[in-house]
Amino acid sequence: MPKSLKDLRPVYVVGVGWHRYQRLSGTPYVSLGLHAIRQSLADAGIAWTDVESSYMGTGYLGMAPGLPMLRYLGATGRHLVHVENASASGSAAFRHACIEVAAGMADVALAVGVDKPETTRHPVTGLSSLANDAIAFFTHYALLMDQYAQEHGAKPEDIALVAVKNLYNGSLNPNAHRQEERSLDEILNGRKLSGWLTPLQCCPVGEGAAAVIVASEDAIKRLSIDPDRAIRVAASAACSERSGLDWPVDVALTQVTMADALQQAGLKPQNVDVLEVHDAFTIEEVQYAESLGFCKPGEAVHLLKEGAFNIGGKMAVSPSGGLIAMGHPVGPTGVGQIGEITMQLRGEAGLRQHKGAKVGLAHMIGNGPMCYAHILQKP
Amino acid sequence: MAELLKPDLYAQDGTTSAPKHPSLKGGKCAHCGFVFFPLQAYGCEVCGQSGDCLQPFALAGSGTLIASAKVHAYTPDAKAVAADVKPLEAPFVIGTIKLDDGPTIRTLVTDVDETTLKRGQRMMSKLVPVGTGARTIVDLRFIPAS
Repeated sequence: MPKSLKDLRPVYVVGVGWHRYQRLSGTPYVSLGLHAIRQSLADAGIAWTDVESSYMGTGYLGMAPGLPMLRYLGATGRHLVHVENASASGSAAFRHACIEVAAGMADVALAVGVDKPETTRHPVTGLSSLANDAIAFFTHYALLMDQYAQEHGAKPEDIALVAVKNLYNGSLNPNAHRQEERSLDEILNGRKLSGWLTPLQCCPVGEGAAAVIVASEDAIKRLSIDPDRAIRVAASAACSERSGLDWPVDVALTQVTMADALQQAGLKPQNVDVLEVHDAFTIEEVQYAESLGFCKPGEAVHLLKEGAFNIGGKMAVSPSGGLIAMGHPVGPTGVGQIGEITMQLRGEAGLRQHKGAKVGLAHMIGNGPMCYAHILQKP
Repeated sequence: MAELLKPDLYAQDGTTSAPKHPSLKGGKCAHCGFVFFPLQAYGCEVCGQSGDCLQPFALAGSGTLIASAKVHAYTPDAKAVAADVKPLEAPFVIGTIKLDDGPTIRTLVTDVDETTLKRGQRMMSKLVPVGTGARTIVDLRFIPAS
């Protein structure tokens, strides 16, 4: 029988760090990444020489950009691998760092995401399509929004409340790309992109970096890492689309992946205190909260209106600001989610703190789609 | 005789169930029965069989609307525009349509007031002129069934 993370030795997040997500600038990616990694090492209270293995998630930086960055941390010559998995590159990097530590092949591993945006090159499969070149990401999600709105009688202005909430959360986050609170009117009156979507209902894709250090119990003792600030990685689930899933596949895939993660961790949807999802577009947050099983299909909009997904509500959704405010620099995004949940479960999230948070779930979809769900739990 | 912009994806001829509407060039797996679009010879996405198992299967140009979106912001990729073809300009409408023969497709929808498009609307295929010069070039669209 295949094993899950929980069947292997325990893995903990012990250090987190960021370089703020921001508009594309002249800052080299090397500076972005080093800033985040050094912050994560300082947070863990360990040295670069203690890190035995590195996983670098990136979508845009070209072939093997990791060593030209890591070399400036010192000469260790340890294992490094690059992970490209579209928007889920960082989530995949984190998963594999956890697996290596859980399997006992390393005691301390780094997952780092770094990116500077470029024009996306889509794979050339040799097959043509009716209209794929006319369907940008925002149109894909405008179609999901129309389907959801019609199935559940939801109003587009209610779905846009996701952006109001997440931009408010982002205004409290010094690492967020967007740090300005916006009103519902400002959000709805923006330039129309596709369907009901306006720019503030879509994530900004900029540059940035996020880093997470994971460690075994042996390493925590040996390196005198504060065990009270170590957060257990209770589950790691990953799936990709298969033919035959119900439409929309993003939602069906999320249901399967989140259910797997909850089952691995032995938890119920209602146990999740903090949820970070792939809210690249407002409609996604509503749908993924339902995919989690936190509420029935069609109910998430009502909970959103009641404030149930606010920080301090029933379940804080996207307390970091989510992709809509925190931003979506691609490689860093999934790693940054783990960082936010770690801060929340430690009780170190400051103005964004969701009181009493004990369980957090990070969800990411990469174009494909591939789907990831990680559960973090306060020991 | 009109030239088809994407002859690998559709044909002027209809099928028995929708004889007046252009068909889509799909495929069917002889091993598991999976019906797919577009036709390809790489392998069945369900059972993995390849080779002669994958047979051409003309899909009726008829289906049901799942969702639609009016696209307001669009910049065509200059490299992707074929010679003598009018580039697509926003606004235009994209629809997600479940074909009666199985596959769900996303396609351009025309001849429609998008504010009246509802889930469950019956949709039919239609060829529309997209050429700019002397050649008559047509491309596939879907329209609401009257």
